[in-house]
Amino acid sequence: MTKESRPAHEPIPEWDEAADEILDGCGYDPDLGKRMAEDAIKITNGELTEQEFHEKYHEEVKTEFGTDERPTKPEGFDD
Amino acid sequence: MTNYGLVIDQERCIGCHSCAMSCKQENNVPMGQAWNRVLTVGGDHIDTPEGSYPEDGDDGTLEMSYQPTACQHCENAPCVKVCPVNATYKREDGIVEIDYDKCIGCRYCMAACPYNARVFNWDEPQHRPEEGTGDVEERPQGVVEKCTFCSHRVEEGLDPACVVNCPADARIFGDLDDDGSTVSKYVAEYDTNRLLDEKGTDPKTYYIQGEMSPGRPWKGKELESELDEQPTPEEADDPDSEESMRRATADAVWGDD
Repeated sequence: MTKESRPAHEPIPEWDEAADEILDGCGYDPDLGKRMAEDAIKITNGELTEQEFHEKYHEEVKTEFGTDERPTKPEGFDD
Repeated sequence: MTNYGLVIDQERCIGCHSCAMSCKQENNVPMGQAWNRVLTVGGDHIDTPEGSYPEDGDDGTLEMSYQPTACQHCENAPCVKVCPVNATYKREDGIVEIDYDKCIGCRYCMAACPYNARVFNWDEPQHRPEEGTGDVEERPQGVVEKCTFCSHRVEEGLDPACVVNCPADARIFGDLDDDGSTVSKYVAEYDTNRLLDEKGTDPKTYYIQGEMSPGRPWKGKELESELDEQPTPEEADDPDSEESMRRATADAVWGDD
């Protein structure tokens, strides 16, 4: 299946519930985890670039985890 | 460059769970956890068919098949992208692994994995026997773990435990970047699909459906690349070959359909 023919990512209700269960009590922001998980699929799906993804969550990730070591960091990205 | 992948021939899979059990044993997977599962496609419960039993001379519509599932070692892995501490990473040989010393247990990777292939050690891992099993050190409480394609074996020139221990020879492991490898040949020759292909994750596990392949065409534990002579599916089809004798014996035990 080509990038162009892939359908847009639509989270299914079952995933929503499962993700809530997975992230419940994880000690970190579960909402951030869900949003990042959904957007990570949008990268694979071609709806979002790694650079956009990295920039979108960089500040939140740094605030939540004190670091941002994700491999999506674009070259020359200014911390 | 090496790019490891797995082919699972669902026409050969007999749903015996040997892959799941050998994985658990080899990788010291704690009680209550499974890296490698065999799902039933059919009824609502494991090993139950959908459809109806034959009645009044009808044929019935019972149907059931097996869906072996584990980490798909995606080329474009969502789990890798969300890990804030880079504990989940992709090796140069294509295997997705977790650095358990780095993992902080945030579980973001579990939410991002569309295959539900990861498990979390909620409690202190328990093993039977207590000292554990296999050749892999246990992972501590509070980390995420999953299938590694038995990277510790692969590095020693051995096939993953699930591949070696499949009595139906339904699993073939090898280098997808090598056009001459059995995995590459089967992907090219047979009707294969990948789970959630439309998500663009580019999984490295391919499932054969429709026509049955000759399966893993060599015996022993070695990776195909470690063999002195490369096996061919034709050898498996030769009725006089040692391999065919072995298959005939296996078919007599496990059935041939």
